[in-house]
Amino acid sequence: MEKLQPYMIDSESSAEFTLCGEVKAGFPSPAEDISEKLDLVKLLVRHRASTFFFRVSGVSMVEADMDEGDILIVDRSIEPYNNCKAVCFIDGEYTVKRVEISDHEIRLMPANERVKKYKPIIVTPDNTLIIWGVVTYIIKRA
Amino acid sequence: MFALADCNNFFVSCERVFRPELNGRPVIVLSNNDGCAIARSNEAKALGIKMGAPMFKIRDIVRKHNVEVFSGNMALYGDMSKRVRWTLEEFVPFIEVYSIDEAFMDLRGMNISDYDAFAKEVSARCWRNVAIPVSVGVSHTKTLAKIAASLCKKYPKLRGGCYMAREQDIEKVLRKYPVGDVWGIGRKSVAKLTDMGVHTAWNFTRLSEGLVRSIFGLTGVRTWRELRGESCVELDDRDEGRQSICVSRSFSHEITDCAELSEQVATFAAQVIEKLRAQHSACVEMVVFASTNRFREDEPQTALSRAVLFDVATSDHRKIISSAVHSLRDIFRSGYGYKKAGVVITKLIPESGVVHSLFEDGRAREKEVKLSSMLDNIKHSFGRDAVRFASQGSGKVASAHERQSPHYTTLWSDIPTVKIE
Repeated sequence: MEKLQPYMIDSESSAEFTLCGEVKAGFPSPAEDISEKLDLVKLLVRHRASTFFFRVSGVSMVEADMDEGDILIVDRSIEPYNNCKAVCFIDGEYTVKRVEISDHEIRLMPANERVKKYKPIIVTPDNTLIIWGVVTYIIKRA
Repeated sequence: MFALADCNNFFVSCERVFRPELNGRPVIVLSNNDGCAIARSNEAKALGIKMGAPMFKIRDIVRKHNVEVFSGNMALYGDMSKRVRWTLEEFVPFIEVYSIDEAFMDLRGMNISDYDAFAKEVSARCWRNVAIPVSVGVSHTKTLAKIAASLCKKYPKLRGGCYMAREQDIEKVLRKYPVGDVWGIGRKSVAKLTDMGVHTAWNFTRLSEGLVRSIFGLTGVRTWRELRGESCVELDDRDEGRQSICVSRSFSHEITDCAELSEQVATFAAQVIEKLRAQHSACVEMVVFASTNRFREDEPQTALSRAVLFDVATSDHRKIISSAVHSLRDIFRSGYGYKKAGVVITKLIPESGVVHSLFEDGRAREKEVKLSSMLDNIKHSFGRDAVRFASQGSGKVASAHERQSPHYTTLWSDIPTVKIE
């Protein structure tokens, strides 16, 4: 990863694309008063209080479109639901898995069928599982 | 009704957000030169680690019980504090941020049918959003809400929320509540109250108003009324700015050299000015101070301080920094190892209200204003350290952060990593 700028989630500082510029002479731009703009932060961060970023390392989720170096946008305010992708903290370690939630059990599913060693984790009372937050977006370099 | 939301062991809780395995383990956070414990988990409190305990005195306990020790990480704590604030603002239109880990909520005029459920819901939402445990107390006054919040910390079965409003409940609680723990009652008052045989908050409410007024003045009466359920302290949601600003640090080593100490003081002055200018105020008075390490009983001790009064209220970089440095040089005594220094400015007034002196040189003043606002712009665009006064030296404060956690939420290079293998 290259060096990145420090950055906080803040409604005041957001990436924007403005289509109109300063008019030096002549007739003023009719678009000057329009404040419409595309705001990436507003798109990606729905809940600023509960949204956090994680960086991915490892390859067990490549078929779920998560690759080494990607940045995950994680929203803690979302109640984990069946088949959600979530950052989990299980037995003292972080992992990202697809979470299968049924009435009688929780299973953490990897998404890389080519590598056999990635097996589903069936959560038992012996495990300590914290579903830390639900992944809402994946930021990756094209 | 008012609510107080108080984050439990806030700095420790922030360290646990990304390290859930630290729940249930003793954790402490040290002050910024790694000197003293400024936050302790309940497990650390149970080991007998006192608030403010110097590290060298607790080293054995830390080793023996494998206490997790962190240097303060203010970037993280500030960000988490903001997230808690945003969460509280989802519930009510007005909150008063009282400190980094406490905020009052004004519940008057809100349509809340069950205050107890409301308090628990606020606490639960803070936990879900930010993973910070928060105690929420609800009662008739801010002072009582603060007491209600403290009950949540004592009784986990309250699940983070406590509604204390019935007369008999309040009496029961106040009868056991030490008067010295009441919001607004200072250490000096406690000594007087103890002499009078007043030990609990309840004893205090039984005094006559006249007696309270004659001994403790109007503020005492305010607290007395608040404890009796009459709201006297309004929610302060107006951003009035602070009445004083202080920047002080302990150093990682003892400074014996006047030039080195001056550089530190100049840096503190620059930071004070930054805060002063951010709230568009000017100051009339400044105090510069420095002191030796009072825990080193084997070494000579001294404490220096000097107050400076400006003829015209100012927020000018050159004036304040040069006065700070000159004062320090004036009072500096060699032969001592200085461990701590700081700059405090008081008597703050809004910049717009500054009355200029008849004898002031108008053009010089204009220049001063221009220079200062230019400095603000540079700092704003390029960061706090982009430009500084030569008297600040390298501008680095000699403090240690050996055990600081990553800036998980404020630096891209520090965001947590999930391994998926």
